[in-house]
Parts: sequence; C-alpha cells; structure tokens
Amino acid sequence: MVEGETRVRLELPTGLRQFAGGKGSYEVRAATLADAIARLNEEFPGFAYRVLDDQVKMRRYVLVFVNEDPVAHLRPEDVRLKGGDTVHILPSVAGG
Amino acid sequence: MADAKKGETVVTVGTRKGLFVFHSKDRRRWKKRGPYFEGVEIRHAILDPMEGKALYAGVTSEHWGPMVSRSTNLGDRWDLGKEGPRFTKESGLTVTRIWQLQQGVDGSLYAGTEPAGLFRSEDHGVTWSSVDALNYREGRDKWPPGGGGLCLHTILPYPKDVKRMLVGISAAGIFTTNNGGSSWRMYDAGIREYGKQKFFDKEDTSTCVHKMVRDPTDPAILYQQNHAGVFRRSRGDPEWSVAEKGLPVAKSTGGPFGFSMVAHPHDRGTAYVVPLVGDYNRVTPKGAMAVFRTTNGGKRWERLSKGLPQKDAWFNVLRDGMRADDGDPAGLYVGTTTGQLYASRNDGNSWELIADHLPQVQSVEAGTVGGR
Repeated sequence: MVEGETRVRLELPTGLRQFAGGKGSYEVRAATLADAIARLNEEFPGFAYRVLDDQVKMRRYVLVFVNEDPVAHLRPEDVRLKGGDTVHILPSVAGG
Repeated sequence: MADAKKGETVVTVGTRKGLFVFHSKDRRRWKKRGPYFEGVEIRHAILDPMEGKALYAGVTSEHWGPMVSRSTNLGDRWDLGKEGPRFTKESGLTVTRIWQLQQGVDGSLYAGTEPAGLFRSEDHGVTWSSVDALNYREGRDKWPPGGGGLCLHTILPYPKDVKRMLVGISAAGIFTTNNGGSSWRMYDAGIREYGKQKFFDKEDTSTCVHKMVRDPTDPAILYQQNHAGVFRRSRGDPEWSVAEKGLPVAKSTGGPFGFSMVAHPHDRGTAYVVPLVGDYNRVTPKGAMAVFRTTNGGKRWERLSKGLPQKDAWFNVLRDGMRADDGDPAGLYVGTTTGQLYASRNDGNSWELIADHLPQVQSVEAGTVGGR
C-alpha cells in the first residue's frame, strides 16, 4: 500500500461502463483522483483516455464529484481523497 | 465479411448519430447495416481500400473522447480501441474530433483531427504517432479556424511515392511534404481573395480549402473546392488556376461555393462538385439539387440532375458528403444534411435515392469488399 492511499468508491455512468468492464461501481485504493483513475486504467487499459484529455485534465464534458463537491475543474492530481469518499463521474448534459 | 461477398460495393455513411453501412452486389439493390455507435457522431469512416477487409470509423464522443474503431466483419463487432490520437501535454492542445481517415501508400493509417493535426498508425489504429513537423509547425498558433473548427480534413497521399503527401486544413490552407512528413510547406498561391477577382501570390497564405482531390490518371494534377472558388494545379505550375466555367457563382465569395469534391476513379480530367448558394446560405441553389461534372480538367463543368430533386431541396452536402466507387462506369454517392443518400451507377448521368431519413450525413465513402 502506498502512503496516503485510502479506500474510495468510484461510481461510473452507463456510457462509461463499456470501457470499464461493464460495472458501474468499483472500490480502489487511491490518494488522489489521478490515482483512482490510474488504478482503474491498470485494470481496464484505455479507461484513463476516456476521461482525461491530452493535457491530463478532465475532459471538457466530464463532470466529477467527490461526495457532493464538484472537482472536475481541478487537476486530478490535486484532488485529495480520504477513506470512504465516493467519486462520481458523470457526463455533462447539454444540447437540444 | 459477414453477409457481404468479395467484389460487393460498400458505402459507409457517417452521420451525426451513428454509422450506416450499405452494400450491394450490383449497385441496384442495397442492404443496410447499422446504425453502429448509436447516438455518437461519426465524421468519417472508410473500408480499407487495399484489402477491402476492415472498416475504420472515426468516432467522436463528446464525453469520452475521439477514437478510431475497427471492424473486420462489416460492423458486426467493433474493436473500440484503447486510445485515440493525442497531442503532447506541452502543446496545450487536445484532440476533440476525428475528421478524416486515409490509408497511406504503405498501408499505414492516417487520421486528420480537430484541432488540426495529422497522426499515423502502423497497427490498424491501435496506437498513434504525431506527425510533429506539421502538428507543431512554427506559426500554427496563427492558423485560423473555419466554420466547423480548426480541422485537418483532407489527406492526399501520392500513389507513386510514399514520401509525398498533401493535407488540407480549414482555414489554414494546404500543406505539402516530399520527405515523408519531416518538413512541410504551404501550397496556396493563386487562390482567390475572398469576394474579389484578385488572387494570392504567395504560397504561405491561409486560405479555406474545403476539399481537394487528385486526378485519377495523373496524381500530380490537383483539383480544389475552396471557400472562394474552384481551382486546378499541376505539379510545376507556379500557382493554382481558376477552373470554374459552367459553375454557379456565389454573390459573396466571387467564385463557386461548395464543400464536396470527388474525382472519377478512372477517367482523366473528370471530377465532380455540388455547388451551394454561398457561404451566407449553404443550401442547393433554388432548392434544386445538382452535381456538376468536368471531363476536361476543369475547363468546363456540366450540370447533372437526372433523378435528383429539383424542387424544395434545401440542404447542404458537406465536404466529405460525396464519393465515388471504383466501378466502370463509376458509382457516385451523395449524402445530404437532411438525411438522403443518392447514388449513380453511370458516372453521374442519372441518380436514384437509396436511403432517406438518415441523421445528418457527415461523410460518405465507397469501397469494394476484397479490395481493388
């Protein structure tokens, strides 16, 4: 176990599950949002590409909440996680 | 390849909402497959022209990133891929759309992207490498976007020389390499200044190329539908020259306006365009659809409309909305922004509707199962 890592839950929307083994919920050990994405990418290569842009920021139309706090505007490595946190990844809904 | 047999014609239709695939033994009766990638925009899809075995689709998911997916059974199953083309972190750029797919002379796969970038894959689209000399070319920060964004939408390998290639970027202009992409120069001299009868005299001028094709019998001859007119250029010519006689002229641009252009697969000097009213009204003139053909290298264009709607046809044909197959006589296919797919199996002399009520057509490509 890496120092600072803690057990968190990731909740994935329907459209993203096809790139993550088909399930909507995973528990991973992570210290930051970047770690959590990296853990899932280890299990499902290509997952990180689906949510991170070429600048390794969250994609423009991807929303992320840690519990109830929006964090998609932050760099994933700057989003600290603590034990029991739930990370919700959602597609933003827009258009007509 | 599923129920399609070797020698069948395949037409891939990329739309705002998924990919449709049509195939036919005789180009009279068509079978439809799809839509694939339900609800997702497909800017471009191709049947690999060399072997005619694999479909490639440029999949633009606004949420989950742009990808190139591959199918070896005409769409029954798609390899969704792991990663699409990417710019470097240092560039400050992020690929958002796949605009164009093109097979290279050596069998590699090229992708043109938005923001404008050229990427190459040597493993059927699984991994990609950036063509850095173009993608990070000095001055790219000044490349102006077109109405559809800053996109690399045309990739023209040179059939006889793997080191030669041209690309079109809206609205940065045309770039050419003769050393395998190690360096690029611009190729825009002779294009009309917007709304004038004056022409740029410098190659390194940003012009809004809409589509560019090679002459089928001499790939050193190019034809171009530009925002500001229709032009022709042969290697060695000092500049592009106007090739518009017989085409309707837009009031705004000073020349014929349109997006799509395709070359005949066999006949020298033969190419097709679909003129629109102008950049201020991107629909077919007078609500009457027509494809225009030149058979003499752009010296004269003739209007072809038999079988095409001549009343209340108010739509656009986008830059990749028209393609030819390699049949003899040639089959031509035109997809509209209102969801019609028209086909001709006699060089464009007459047309028939083979699909209606599709989502907005972004691109049409034609190929042959088993290759040419």
